[in-house]
This record gives sequence, structure tokens and C-alpha cells, in this order.
Amino acid sequence: MKLEQVLKLQSYLDGEMPERERRDVAGWLDREPQARALFAELKTAREALTGNEPAPALPESREFYWSKIEREIARLEREPARAPRANLLAWLRRLLVPTAGVALLVLAASVFIWPSGAGRGAGAFESSMRDTGATTYRDHANGVTLVWLSYPATDHEVDYEAPPRATR
Amino acid sequence: MSTCAWHRIALLLLAVVSLLSLAGTVAAKEIKLEAQLVWGTNDEKTDNAELKPVTAEVEKRLKSLPFKWQHYFEVKRKQFTVQHAKTQRINLSKDCVIEVKNLENDQVEVTLLGKGEVVGRIKQKLPDGETLVLGGNAANFTGWFVVLRPVK
Repeated sequence: MKLEQVLKLQSYLDGEMPERERRDVAGWLDREPQARALFAELKTAREALTGNEPAPALPESREFYWSKIEREIARLEREPARAPRANLLAWLRRLLVPTAGVALLVLAASVFIWPSGAGRGAGAFESSMRDTGATTYRDHANGVTLVWLSYPATDHEVDYEAPPRATR
Repeated sequence: MSTCAWHRIALLLLAVVSLLSLAGTVAAKEIKLEAQLVWGTNDEKTDNAELKPVTAEVEKRLKSLPFKWQHYFEVKRKQFTVQHAKTQRINLSKDCVIEVKNLENDQVEVTLLGKGEVVGRIKQKLPDGETLVLGGNAANFTGWFVVLRPVK
């Protein structure tokens, strides 16, 4: 039997054949015992498959079952949007580790390298004087910063006449 | 040690440094100062009975400076408090005025005014034990000083 004839029988069995062809195939089945045998075999196989198709019983309602699938699809669709957060965390870690290292070095430097007394007194001194003859002297031992001006005292407590020059 | 542990140590250190910085910021506070107008001379006594010798502590600091004067007399002394970022104006004499601005971290900006005009401006850290002295020549080979130091 040709493949074309087998396909025609299958089509006849599935009810997918135009009426005129159906009549031709029916006549052919009446005439050919081999065709009838094959048709019977195909019919048996079809019935076996249809009758034994598994019908899974859901432990939940149909609506709930599909809502779970819907939620899962939505979760998977959101997944790519969450990926940058993980990247941001990794980026922050990459940034924080060297930053913390630098902070540690600065901390160590401030403890071990910074000279004692620095940051106090003269270390933070800054002046702007109208008196161009002003000079600065620093006594580290006693923690004294002196700004000496050529500006004369003129208050009445100090009897000002003609000021001598600096007596340093 | 695992990478994760290093990360934790680094983060911990960063947190400590951040807290220290925060503490430094919070530490911005008022500063209590004492300003003195002092007269330096070699005369043991002065005609002005109101003048009295400076305290031993101030004398020690003034004598640590390279001057010839042996005696220092207190003309005026004022204690005052300056709030953070505020300025306090102190009259030490008719013509001698200072303005002290509390910047931050014990740093002050001192503006010296003579006869109402700004003579100079100094920024200086004044933690405990630190003294800022402004000075100049006065009559008869004497000297004037403005001594500024923190007090408790």
C-alpha cells in the first residue's frame, strides 16, 4: 500500500476529508480487505490513545493554578530589572574596598606620621595684615604664636609719644 | 582570609572613619577664651596702681618670646564665650578692640582693630594650651600685647 493511500485512510478516520473523497474511500474500503485491515488498526490505535490520555487532577482550583503561572511569568519578566541592583552592589563593593584602604592609610598616617603638635597652633596659622612690617614667631615648646606688628599702641594706658622700632 | 572577610573589614574601617568624621562635625561647639591686654616693660613698678602683674602662666608664655622685657602688667582681662560660627567683639581699651570668630575645630579668626580700623586678621587654632599673642612697640621702649588663649 502506498503512503498516499495510508494518509488518505488516516484523513478519513480523522474526519478531515471532503464528502466526495469520503465516498470514494468508503468504496475503496468495501473493496479492499487490506485497506480495511489497516483502517481497523489505525482506528484501534486512535481509540487507545484517546481513551488512555492522562487527565491530571489539580490540587487547587483552575483559577488559582493559572494565577500561579501568571505570577511566575510576571516574576521572570521582572528579573532583568533586578539585575542592575546586583551590579550596583558589586560596584559599591569595588568602590568601598579601595576607599576603606585609603581611609586606613590616612588613619595610620595621622597616627604614626603626623608630627606631634602639628595641627595645633602654627600648623593652622593664617594672617592678613595691613601692617606690612608684621612678622610671626612660633614657640612650639610653649604653644605660643606671636604676631608682631609695627603698628604703634596709642591707647591712654600706655603713654605713647614716639615709638621706638621693634625690640626683637 | 576570604575576600568576603576583607570586604567586611574594609566596610568596618570605613564605618569607623565615617563615625570619626561625624564626631568631628558634631564637635563644632562654642569656645571659651580669655583675652588680655598686657603691657611689657623693664620697670618693676608702674605709676598706674590699677595695673597688676600678669599671672605666672601668662608670664611664662610671654617670657618664652624673644623680648627683652622682664615685667608684664595686665591692663585688661576679659573672659568670653563664642558660639560656633559667631563673632564676639571685645573692647580691651579705648582704641584696642578684637573681634573673635569661632570657625570650627578650635579654630578662630581674630581681627585686631586699632582706633576702629582693622589692623590685621589672623586665623589660628586655639586648642587647650595654645596661646596667640599680638604685639607691638609702645612708648619708652615698652610693648603692648593682646594675649588670647582658651580657658575652661
